[in-house]
Amino acid sequence: MKWATRARVHVDRAACAWLIRRFIDSAAEFVFVEDPADAPPDVTGFDMRGVALSHHEGRCSFETALLQFDFAADPALEEIGHIVHEADLADDTFDAPIAAGLDALIRGVSLISATDHDTLAVTDRLFDGLYEHLRRQLLSGRPPA
Amino acid sequence: MYATESATLVAIVQPRLLNCRVALPSTAEVMTDVAHAEDWVLLAYRLPREPSTPRSTVWRRLKRLGVAQLGDGLVALPADARTREALEWVAEEVIENNGEAMLWLGHPADAAGRAAIRERMSAGIAAEYQAVAVEALASRDSDTATRRRVGARLRRELHRIETRDFFESEQRATAVHAVEDLAARLTDPART
Repeated sequence: MKWATRARVHVDRAACAWLIRRFIDSAAEFVFVEDPADAPPDVTGFDMRGVALSHHEGRCSFETALLQFDFAADPALEEIGHIVHEADLADDTFDAPIAAGLDALIRGVSLISATDHDTLAVTDRLFDGLYEHLRRQLLSGRPPA
Repeated sequence: MYATESATLVAIVQPRLLNCRVALPSTAEVMTDVAHAEDWVLLAYRLPREPSTPRSTVWRRLKRLGVAQLGDGLVALPADARTREALEWVAEEVIENNGEAMLWLGHPADAAGRAAIRERMSAGIAAEYQAVAVEALASRDSDTATRRRVGARLRRELHRIETRDFFESEQRATAVHAVEDLAARLTDPART
């Protein structure tokens, strides 16, 4: 399946792309557009104005995706949702001190990446690691050693 | 590196970060950024009077971003990739709540207007930094637990103010110093 989002991805789009590739569509192809109006008609848009998988009712796009694809049963994903929300919107809805670090890392990665595909190659691994960390923390009740 | 993300580089050459070991961008790159710094992104919006919750949510979001209010339903921020996207999402939220919103790019037509808006924004930020400094000073002689708690909260508050400090307020250094002094008193017995 083809998915489209705005070019020069940042934390919310990187998180959505990771969720899509890891849990929804392992063969996902991503297209990056300058203007939402440039998105081809046969693609599913995310984190752009005017699409379903986007900011809604105070939620960031990643949180919308969790809701829409029914990931409510996975507390590690829900926690990533809180982190991405604070990294993206910083409105103190959640207590997520990791958010500031994740924001800095992904901004930095996008600065040293030639294309959005290169950025996602790195951020996919970051989110894999973050997911594993949170999963173990939730299983054991304390941060993994 | 993305040309349109170059505004981000401005942060690298701010004096307060100069002691970091970073590769500085070329002068040409910096000069382009200075020219871009004159661009503003404006949000013109209108929300129904009732219900009032979306109105206050939107206003809280705009305050947090540090907008300059230019008129009733007209706010502005210095334009870069981040501020533009932030206002785009606020515009979406306005539209979702049965309002109208439109994003504009522009700049004040004369130097006086430019100075006035900068001055107004700087005064607001200076007051925020000053409030932090005053609070830190007021806790200087509290017990260790209070100093630790107040210090941690004020550090977070400083980070929030820094995200909307677009013109490198001179009051920042005073506030940072006052908060760090609070933290230093925790470890230095001579100062407790």
